[in-house]
Amino acid sequence: MAVDNRLHVEFSNVTKVYSEPPRSVTALNDISFQINEGEFVCIVGPSGCGKSTLLRMIAGLDSPSSGEIRFKGNLLTAPHPKISMVFQTFALLPWRTVLENVAFGLEVQNVPKRERENTARELLGMVGLKDSENLFPKQLSGGMKQRVGIARALATDPEVVLMDEAFSAIDEFTAEALREEVAEIHAETQKTFLLVTHNLPEAIELADRILVLSARPARVKSIVPIELVRPRSPTASDFVSIHKDIFSLLQAELEASIMRRRLGEIKEFQKLRDMEDR
Amino acid sequence: MITLVAIFSVWEAVSLLGIVSSDQLPPLHNVLFTLVQLGGTPFFMARVGQSFVNVAAGVSLALVVVMPLALLVGLRNQLDEAITPIIMLVGALPDLAILTVLVTVIGRGNVAAVAISAFSAFFPIYFTIRQGVKEIPQDYFHVASVFRAGRLDTFSKIILPSIFPNFLTGLRLSFEFSWNVLLAVEIIASVAGIGSFISNSIQGSSHSMTYGLAAIMTVGLLTVLMDRAFFERLEQRIKRWR
Repeated sequence: MAVDNRLHVEFSNVTKVYSEPPRSVTALNDISFQINEGEFVCIVGPSGCGKSTLLRMIAGLDSPSSGEIRFKGNLLTAPHPKISMVFQTFALLPWRTVLENVAFGLEVQNVPKRERENTARELLGMVGLKDSENLFPKQLSGGMKQRVGIARALATDPEVVLMDEAFSAIDEFTAEALREEVAEIHAETQKTFLLVTHNLPEAIELADRILVLSARPARVKSIVPIELVRPRSPTASDFVSIHKDIFSLLQAELEASIMRRRLGEIKEFQKLRDMEDR
Repeated sequence: MITLVAIFSVWEAVSLLGIVSSDQLPPLHNVLFTLVQLGGTPFFMARVGQSFVNVAAGVSLALVVVMPLALLVGLRNQLDEAITPIIMLVGALPDLAILTVLVTVIGRGNVAAVAISAFSAFFPIYFTIRQGVKEIPQDYFHVASVFRAGRLDTFSKIILPSIFPNFLTGLRLSFEFSWNVLLAVEIIASVAGIGSFISNSIQGSSHSMTYGLAAIMTVGLLTVLMDRAFFERLEQRIKRWR
């Protein structure tokens, strides 16, 4: 697949510190990477490492403590009209029908009703929910809900689609079907996709490149290009060997982080003992 | 329905058989007949209207004050921690005792009636709406941000529909509360209305128990009607998506 080499999203020395007095916690530590236009990048890392924070920053829902994030060369400081998001919880508005949910982004941008409904219908067709436009979210299965979530994200015709654990609240069978559809949508639309996931096979199946983060405070551990031919089969030998490589990377990271924490605890313990000795 | 018929039959029988004197418990058919008669009496209907207007005015007044307050408090935790304890404290004060104070200060009139029904309507609305706002999932606000909804859109398209079920519960409770308290106000402070009509009837001449009971049943009917015609219908609409 041809990947345009134009720089799309760029992180430069991004650090995120949460201050919860009296302590402050560093979530992201000096993160730098570039994503090209039309690329599908998956972000993996140990749980709680701040992957989602990273995504939320691109969405403009959070801001870095230092460093900068650029989109097409411009500094990102607020939600951008060409950047859209799919949520782990689906985040559909329950009082709106499927059609009204998909049209939400256009509606708040004052796109006329006829026009936004046409766009919404088109996208519902794309995700296979043509006949469900008048249903309410409670009438849908998890997989269908996320289809609506994806259609809503695409309705504003974004250049970047952010997906935060978008498949993890769906049963595995449905998730697999949905992943295949997302891969197709990516191939068709050539939009930039960023998926945060803790599911390694999922990342390998979808990604052009995988960004591996370390445990908290997260740094970029490695950026792994995936050059397997699509569609990718998780049982193919090269798939398995990539999986093994990244898995051991993550495992080493996890062990290192446990060691670091233990060491911290030991130091803390020694400090306490010294105080008692005095 | 069957229970209702049973109760009414027992009532009719007890009264007709003279087990209880008809001064104390007039036969049901007399009460029902009076009820219909009262329905056609302008004086009585004016009293009913008066009470209803007082309750509606009180509840509306409470809404105007409470809505913005409850929304703010729901959205801002610090404000909540500062204000809600005070409101709980005020809410613990007995409505009817406050009424006595009110009547001494502003006199027995419609103003006192509206004020006291606003006071009793305040708390159910405050707490249900506050809770509703607190329960809005953070992701709904994220959706609003990502699609760059303005403040007004976030308010009208995320916050208001989210709290609507709570708002309805609060309004319903408020109406019931307010209605009860108002009747007490009318009886105790002799403010013109259906309450004072009831107490005057019962304390008046011999067959007036019939009038009193008929008036009480009118209140019951009004409440049920209000519930069916207004609240039930709105609730049905919520049930479509909830």
